[in-house]
Amino acid sequence: MDLMSKLTISASMLLTGFVIVFSVLIFLIFIIWVMGKIVTGAQNASANRKKIKVQKLDEKPEKVEIKKPAPVIKKPESPSGTPDEVIAVISAAVYSMYGSKQKVRIKSIKKSSSRSAWANAGVLRNTRPF
Amino acid sequence: MEIIERFLKAIEGIFTDSGIMTLGWQNYVMIGVACVLFYLAIKKEFEPLLLLPIAFGMLLVNLYPGITAAPDTTLMNAADCIAAKGTTEGYATTIINGVQYYNVPHYGGLFYYLYQGVKLGIYPPLIFLGVGAMTDFGPLIANPKSFILGAAAQIGIFITFIGAIFLGFTDAQSGAIGIIGGADGPTAIYVTTKLAPELLGSIAIAAYSYMALVPIIQPPIMRALTTKKERSVVMEQLRPVSKLEKIIFPIVIVVVISILLPDAAPLVGMLMFGNLLKESGVCDRLSKTAQNELMNIITIFLGTTVGATATGVNFLSFNTLKIIALGLIAFMMGSACGVLFGKVMYKLTGGKVNPLIGSAGVSAVPMAARVSQRVGQEENPGNFLLMHAMGPNVAGVIGSAVAAGVLLNVLR
Repeated sequence: MDLMSKLTISASMLLTGFVIVFSVLIFLIFIIWVMGKIVTGAQNASANRKKIKVQKLDEKPEKVEIKKPAPVIKKPESPSGTPDEVIAVISAAVYSMYGSKQKVRIKSIKKSSSRSAWANAGVLRNTRPF
Repeated sequence: MEIIERFLKAIEGIFTDSGIMTLGWQNYVMIGVACVLFYLAIKKEFEPLLLLPIAFGMLLVNLYPGITAAPDTTLMNAADCIAAKGTTEGYATTIINGVQYYNVPHYGGLFYYLYQGVKLGIYPPLIFLGVGAMTDFGPLIANPKSFILGAAAQIGIFITFIGAIFLGFTDAQSGAIGIIGGADGPTAIYVTTKLAPELLGSIAIAAYSYMALVPIIQPPIMRALTTKKERSVVMEQLRPVSKLEKIIFPIVIVVVISILLPDAAPLVGMLMFGNLLKESGVCDRLSKTAQNELMNIITIFLGTTVGATATGVNFLSFNTLKIIALGLIAFMMGSACGVLFGKVMYKLTGGKVNPLIGSAGVSAVPMAARVSQRVGQEENPGNFLLMHAMGPNVAGVIGSAVAAGVLLNVLR
């Protein structure tokens, strides 16, 4: 293969590869973007329809016999919004760590990060090898 | 006396057939290379699931080259054959000058038969089936722009093609060498078996070695091409992706790619089939089999038989050194192009994209994404780029399959 043919084949392959790979993948971006819009739109519309249906049922209670669900007794929550069960679990964990001899008072309970403990565990697991 | 004579003859025959008499120096060097790969796989844990079977295949073929021997037949005089074997049932006959001969079959070596799965292009798509069943395309669906980074990282393939052409390889061989830059083992094997099967051993070993060395090769390139400010960018959380989108995605991808690039259909088709098994949620058993048993069995067959192509005579040549050097260039170029396109996206989005995720475009799932995560955390320990890098990473798998389709279409 002489120099000229080497240059020709190299340039043509670079151009072909670059153009086709980018064109196909950019086309896929468009397709996936459209797919996302359609699916999200359809799902939102479906959710709205359900909402409207529920509202209509609420508006005409005399026509539709709906069994009233048992009244749900709202449990009081702490000022921070943390459910009592969670506070009880945390208190029990603190008690088991410090024991009854030390006087411990829990003043507040705050989330340490926006990520859940499970998400943190997952991230740690995925990044630990380094 | 006759007993002693027979005994000595038997000993002589065994000695003549033994490795001591039949193996050349190249085989002994390759046994040494196999031992180095054992060390890297077992002690250093460099891609052990593939490097270990490859090393063992390499060891076995250099100890006993007959394990890859192809089946053949020899002509044997009919009378002699009956006298020697007793039965000739099923043997084909040939008549030469009025004399009848039997075609006595000699069966091939074990690896000859197992290698057919590589030669016929069966194993790599099956590996892709398992990869698809294990991959979550959610980050890519949530941020389809990641496809750009997956495409950018494939540029290394075509730049290396040029290097290989100028180093004296044929165009088909150059295409097979360039695909190392895709950092995707099954794709590299698939393309090489179609374009340059004589280079399979060197290319497979180079591809898997560089994939194992991703955490060493990529970080210096990433740091050299980005500023501290760029590396510190914290990206916005990705939108949640619905189950319906995840189900439609593999179907759409396989339809689009198979229509546009039919040569990429076996790889992309099996990748997406595996993913559909997983995402559909109704084929749990099949999905688990693709991810575990099937994947493991194929990995064993693929690894050992690819390793068995690295015989001393094939592997110990100047071409292998050139392939290893070109493979490294391909890999580095792919990573660099990914980061550079990441920088372009950083500018275009007003600093919302961290360029470090660009290097994950070189497939090597999930290692390349983990490297982006690690380098990003060096600048900002609270920065979690992993899921953002998984987008370009899985886009790179599709991108390298598309690049493979281009190479096969143009060069075959």
